[in-house]
Amino acid sequence: MTRTRFVLPALLVLVALVLALGACAQPTPEVVKETVIVTKVVEKVVTKEVPAQEKITLIITSGSGSAGSTKVMRKQIERYMAENPNVEVKIQEMPWSSTQQHDMYVTWAAGGLPVPDIYRIDIVWPPEFAAAGWILPLDEYIQKYNVNMDDYLPGPINGVTVNGKIYAMPFFTDAGLLYYRKDLLEKYGFEPPETFADLKEQALTIMEKEGIPNGFVWQGDAYEGLTVDFLEYVWGNCADVLDENGNVVIDDPKAVEALKVMVDYIQSGVSPEGVTTYKEEDARNVFQRGDAVFMRNWPYAWRLLNKDDSPVKGKVGAKPMVHGEGCQSAAGLGGWNLAINANSKHPEEAFKLIAYLTTPENQKELALEAGLSPVRKSLYKDPDLLAANPFYETLYDVFLSARPRPVHPRYPEISAVIFTEAHKALVGEQTPEEAIQRMAEQIREIVGK
Amino acid sequence: MHALQRIREYGLSQRQLAVVLLVPALFTILAIAIYPLTQTFWLSLQDYNLKFVAQRRFVGLGNYLKLLGDEHFREALKHTLFFTVVSVGMEFVIGLAVALTIHRPFWGRGLVRAAVLVPWAIPTVISARMWEWMWNDQFGVINDVLLRLHLISESQAWLGKPATAMWAIIVTDVWKTTPFMALLLLAGLQVIPEDLYESAMIDGAGAWQRFWHVTLPLLRPAILVAIIFRTLDAFRVFDVVYVLTGGASNTETLVVLNQRVLFSFLEFGYGSAISTAIFIIIFFFSAMYMRILGLELEVK
Repeated sequence: MTRTRFVLPALLVLVALVLALGACAQPTPEVVKETVIVTKVVEKVVTKEVPAQEKITLIITSGSGSAGSTKVMRKQIERYMAENPNVEVKIQEMPWSSTQQHDMYVTWAAGGLPVPDIYRIDIVWPPEFAAAGWILPLDEYIQKYNVNMDDYLPGPINGVTVNGKIYAMPFFTDAGLLYYRKDLLEKYGFEPPETFADLKEQALTIMEKEGIPNGFVWQGDAYEGLTVDFLEYVWGNCADVLDENGNVVIDDPKAVEALKVMVDYIQSGVSPEGVTTYKEEDARNVFQRGDAVFMRNWPYAWRLLNKDDSPVKGKVGAKPMVHGEGCQSAAGLGGWNLAINANSKHPEEAFKLIAYLTTPENQKELALEAGLSPVRKSLYKDPDLLAANPFYETLYDVFLSARPRPVHPRYPEISAVIFTEAHKALVGEQTPEEAIQRMAEQIREIVGK
Repeated sequence: MHALQRIREYGLSQRQLAVVLLVPALFTILAIAIYPLTQTFWLSLQDYNLKFVAQRRFVGLGNYLKLLGDEHFREALKHTLFFTVVSVGMEFVIGLAVALTIHRPFWGRGLVRAAVLVPWAIPTVISARMWEWMWNDQFGVINDVLLRLHLISESQAWLGKPATAMWAIIVTDVWKTTPFMALLLLAGLQVIPEDLYESAMIDGAGAWQRFWHVTLPLLRPAILVAIIFRTLDAFRVFDVVYVLTGGASNTETLVVLNQRVLFSFLEFGYGSAISTAIFIIIFFFSAMYMRILGLELEVK
């Protein structure tokens, strides 16, 4: 009897051990959406047996940016495979949230997986991925295959350059824009807003007179998107997180003021309470239904807002983000880039595919059909693209001057501090002063300055 | 010839035979439980970030000292305990009611029993995504229904407010895991002999008395097992929180924090310290339940 009394508890404790370890060691397999396999039947006249060229498989990731981007990529890849029958390319879909994508990549890369061969990475990751040795420098291939780097926008190129080497090819670029309801602003005689205060006043007036439930929607959920939104307010109010020497300078009354503007938008009803749960698509869904006057979002939204079935088709304008009195508007630089897994078995084949996906023709197709802004300067003067995205002409400067997020190998930790503390201020758990103070303390600890 | 006798011929005593038979099991446990556990503990004594492998160094109990002063950890522990107590409590009460209902014979019982299991059969990440839409502030069905019933005067951002976010997560979890609780309790109910109820009825016991004096005491072992499983599960909650709020609005649980430190920041040293802390807490939970269960067995 005593023995059973010992053995049973011991067994249950072991069960607990295993359960606890499961909790610690499991990556998050549920977030992997699906692997889309693209195959194309290539007709062959089989007269006699010819030794087939060895067939290789490349895996490339796709995901957030636009619902249509994977479709376009698939089309281009099918063409590529028809031209290169020895290569089979598979697309792996990633979750929308860039934070979730990052965690998955990092888990795979740290584990030394040879796949995916091509990572589609956010503009803020190259310093981290390069420092960890997860992605390859591409300069050698760029020379070998004569890629014209002068045609690329400077912002994305800066983003993918680490210690003088290029670690990824820009795939599409992004800059935060303020979308507004042209029709409603005209109706009430408003010029598109310039300052934080203009936006509040116009939103409140139009909401009241038109019975529109929301004034301004943006990305307020606690994730990477909030970091970018927050930075645009901070920069647009003459403050910054790190100075040019990498010192933490966020504890600045100007930064507190910027966060207060965001909190005030929610408290005054300009932005809905639920904005603290919104990512890009949540904001777009609200704005596209005609339920908001203003929206902060990336350029991809333009094409979707102007689709035939969109209730706000032709009623939308886009301009640089609002800013503080006496300061300059600032757009957060976004965008995705194609990098080669350092453990890939076919790095050169991977580069050839990347070069193909970033040719001017394919970039143009991606811009026209998925609404993703090209990384090549020449395309901003292309008549077809200007017709589809009239804002390219007036906002070319925004793309040229979009600002990078703090450049640091520990950027994900810095960003997590920013969005966690900012989110707590947005939901009223702490004051903006406390939030900024705590950001400064924690970021100092991370960067060690 | 009898297998046991054959082994005896090799000169193994019963005791030696027991050792031989236990070795594979012990080896498996060593490989899948003890090894990773010691590995995690060993990592927790180091300052080790997978991004900066060259800077790896031994820091002794440094990570644990940091843990004690870490506000995020204390907050996460608080949220996890709240989630565990409330969700397991609600799941038990509702699960018991469901089990008692589907234990009674009625027309279509098989269908109802199968239907009850549906939420449990859906992968959590999918049901959580579904609930995320239901809780949505602009077009969520929950706001719509409550507005029509005039229970709220305007749409609420359930997942965006610290006051409601954790409750929304709990409701989602209760919806999903109550069937599991009900199933375990139903199994317990089915082994209670019918004649006990008959004799209770003959003695003049009412429905409430029969429940209180016959059902509950005999269901005790099943209740304990069900609650142990659910507590250990709830304490390690991850997916439902990850999908619904990502840990924002005062909902970050220990494992969500752990995942972030390990896989977002790649801080394997500090992350392993958090893992070990979770392990120790669960160990105490288990030991406590073991004691109760052990007493249970002794009484029997």
